[in-house]
Amino acid sequence: MAYLSMGEAHRRISDYLNRFYDSVSSQDGSSLRQLLSVSSDSPHLLSLADALNVFQDANRLIKQADRYSQLGEIIAPLFRCLQNYRIGHLVDAYNAFEKSANAFLLEFRNWESAWAMEPLYVIAYEIRVLAEKADRELASYGKNPEKLKGAGSFLMKVFGALAGKGPKRVGALHVTCQLFKIYFKLGTVNLCRSAIRSIETARIFDFEEFPVRDKVTYMYYTGRLEVFNENFIAADKKLTYALMHCNPRREENIRMILKYLIPVKLSIGILPKSWLLDKYNLIEYNDVVQALKRGDLRLLRHALQEHEDRFLRSSVYLVLEKLELQVYQRLIKKIYISQKQRGPSKAHQIKLDVIVKALKWLEIDMDVDEVECIMAILIYKNLVKGYFAHKSKVAALSKQDPFPKLNGKPINSKGTHKNKNVPSVLGLIIPFFFFNFFVCGGGGG
Amino acid sequence: MNKSRRKARMSSSSTEGKGLQSNASGEAEASKGGSIRGRSLEDEESHRSIESSHVSSTSPSTIGTCTLMCPAGERVQREHLRDLSVFERLNGHPGKTSPSLAVKKFCRTMSTKHVQESDVRPLPVLRDTLCYLLNLLDSSEQPFEVVHDFVFDRTRSIRQDLSMQNIVNDEAIHMYEEMVKFHIVSHHKLLCCNCNVNISSMYYLNLEQLRKSLSSLYGMYDANRKSSTISKNESEFRSFYVLLHLGSNSQSVRLASPILKSKELCFTRKVLRSFRLGNYYCFFNTIAAESSYLQYCLMEPCINELRILVVSCINYGGYTLSPYPLAQLSKLLRMKESDMKSLCIACGLEISTNEAGNKFLPTKQTTFHPPKGGFQNYSFLGLERLQRHTRVDDSRTTNQAS
Repeated sequence: MAYLSMGEAHRRISDYLNRFYDSVSSQDGSSLRQLLSVSSDSPHLLSLADALNVFQDANRLIKQADRYSQLGEIIAPLFRCLQNYRIGHLVDAYNAFEKSANAFLLEFRNWESAWAMEPLYVIAYEIRVLAEKADRELASYGKNPEKLKGAGSFLMKVFGALAGKGPKRVGALHVTCQLFKIYFKLGTVNLCRSAIRSIETARIFDFEEFPVRDKVTYMYYTGRLEVFNENFIAADKKLTYALMHCNPRREENIRMILKYLIPVKLSIGILPKSWLLDKYNLIEYNDVVQALKRGDLRLLRHALQEHEDRFLRSSVYLVLEKLELQVYQRLIKKIYISQKQRGPSKAHQIKLDVIVKALKWLEIDMDVDEVECIMAILIYKNLVKGYFAHKSKVAALSKQDPFPKLNGKPINSKGTHKNKNVPSVLGLIIPFFFFNFFVCGGGGG
Repeated sequence: MNKSRRKARMSSSSTEGKGLQSNASGEAEASKGGSIRGRSLEDEESHRSIESSHVSSTSPSTIGTCTLMCPAGERVQREHLRDLSVFERLNGHPGKTSPSLAVKKFCRTMSTKHVQESDVRPLPVLRDTLCYLLNLLDSSEQPFEVVHDFVFDRTRSIRQDLSMQNIVNDEAIHMYEEMVKFHIVSHHKLLCCNCNVNISSMYYLNLEQLRKSLSSLYGMYDANRKSSTISKNESEFRSFYVLLHLGSNSQSVRLASPILKSKELCFTRKVLRSFRLGNYYCFFNTIAAESSYLQYCLMEPCINELRILVVSCINYGGYTLSPYPLAQLSKLLRMKESDMKSLCIACGLEISTNEAGNKFLPTKQTTFHPPKGGFQNYSFLGLERLQRHTRVDDSRTTNQAS
């Protein structure tokens, strides 16, 4: 580092103080926000941090002039944060930032208009990022990583400050999304529930008033929660909303949405086109889709094994595992079709031994009792229409529509048996552009 | 199992006394590897409760000096109040106890600030206390739920003392493992006597503490992890959480790669997969072949749930002219044929018998309904070999309100 004189250090600090005070007194949110982004490594803040480390007595400067001292509670710990961040003391940096953030929130409550919303967003972002870094430092010393949890508590306070009738309420969704990011990172996703309840049931909030960007993020996270809970219809709705309203140029965001939407679509019998997987680099789904199209159980299992880490990390592994039932359906349908070609009169009777042989050909070892079990389940869940005869080890398929398509509805997990071949109304709402992403059903024939 | 053997088992670990200055509970950060389903380990109550305390890494921990199972002050006070459990009474006297009988109670309202060191038991005393309590389970003549109630409360106090002293070493891990095992076996035994309303609430309280102890235990495993080695029993105890939540649509829990590849987790994932797909053939086969007794205890409710589903499934999809042989069905579901028949009847279905005396389940009956009246206690054929772990003598459980 080049030599920094006391004079120069003094100048930089005073300069920052002036800018801070000016932006607050003129209610200039976009100027103020630049002064708060600690982790951005902006040259301005880096050089300020160097100056602080040289000068060492910035508090005196703050107290000297009355006009700065009003904001001293915010700035003094912020300076400590910058200093610590600069020298890599991340836990101390976080602790200082938390103090500053709390002081900022106090002032924020007093400002009537929503002029400081952008700076508040920066603070919400920074506290999370700094907490994550602090936790990594704590973990490396064998200590308990608790800072991110603390950041979550702070954001709850921020939410409280925004949950009122005034103009500030428009920021509530943004803060909620930051909270979601924390809960997802910590694995405490059940805590999202109360945040969701506050947004969706409180009368002060009108969902449509929130900025699009925040709505997309919100639907992405709540959609992911629906995937965890295997509510596929709700997951489809929310993730599709996020997809439809996401800026098409933000390819990374689209990819993230598709990463969860695709397993959902697969679970309701809708397959993505291969160009979609290629375009957004979601090649891990290629084999899964092929397996569904071909009824290739071996390929599905192989795909799950090959990309196990990735699927486990995004928590879609269990959802994909359940696709086995649809693969069985496809396999049996292929047997049915080939039998039909050979002699249409006997096609609807399939010997369970034939299925055993077909699986053996796929290098899957299943005895006839297990095949009967699979058949019983497929019939029970309405993936196959017909019945099985235990004594003769034969499955008899219905002459009409023996392999009902899912058509946008999830497999019946409770085995209730009403007619389910009603097309989904939601399917009609999706605009043409996105409709082309997916094809219905399990392939031809 | 005799006292000395259990004591020897528990003294096997090396360090004692001071542990690491780490938290004993809560969800750990994701380590490398994958995730598997189970409910999130974040327990909002644990924020406040002491037994899984969030003692920060900078606060000092108490070191207890109480040399008895129960601090003298509490012992005297409870004698006066005649607040003594039947196990603590000297010669059955409701107002007299002794140092070798009294065991410190769990105290909900205790806060770390006002605790005296002389009221907290150090690790060796806690170890001996736990030994004593677990031996009671085997040796007592009292009905099971009475013993359970006592051991439940007193082990909770042990966990509280461990937590206050921030002890998270190997020995603490071993003690938590023993306590988890206690909760699991109680989970099984209390389920069998759910007709009693009192026992039903005991069951849910036990379930809550089972979850909390598992949660704390996992925190300790993480705190004690040296490089990439896993604790001896960690895979088995990690599997418990997943098996406990087999039937629920819960969120993911992240597990390190070596754990996921362990024998216990492979078994668990296989069971989970078959259960979710409804592949009852694979489900029952896998359990019969590989399950431990404790794992079985955890899966029991789901096993029964799946049996009921299979009856419904066979009734729904079977051919009318091909009734399903009961012998075959009971073998598939690992049940005694008489139990199989009881289950079918409890589901509102009729059983037919042919001339040779063989029983069948006629299909397409319209009267199917899930059995009413709670849990049916059926055995699992092939797993009786595992039940030597603890006495299976359930005749001691009472079915009347006490």
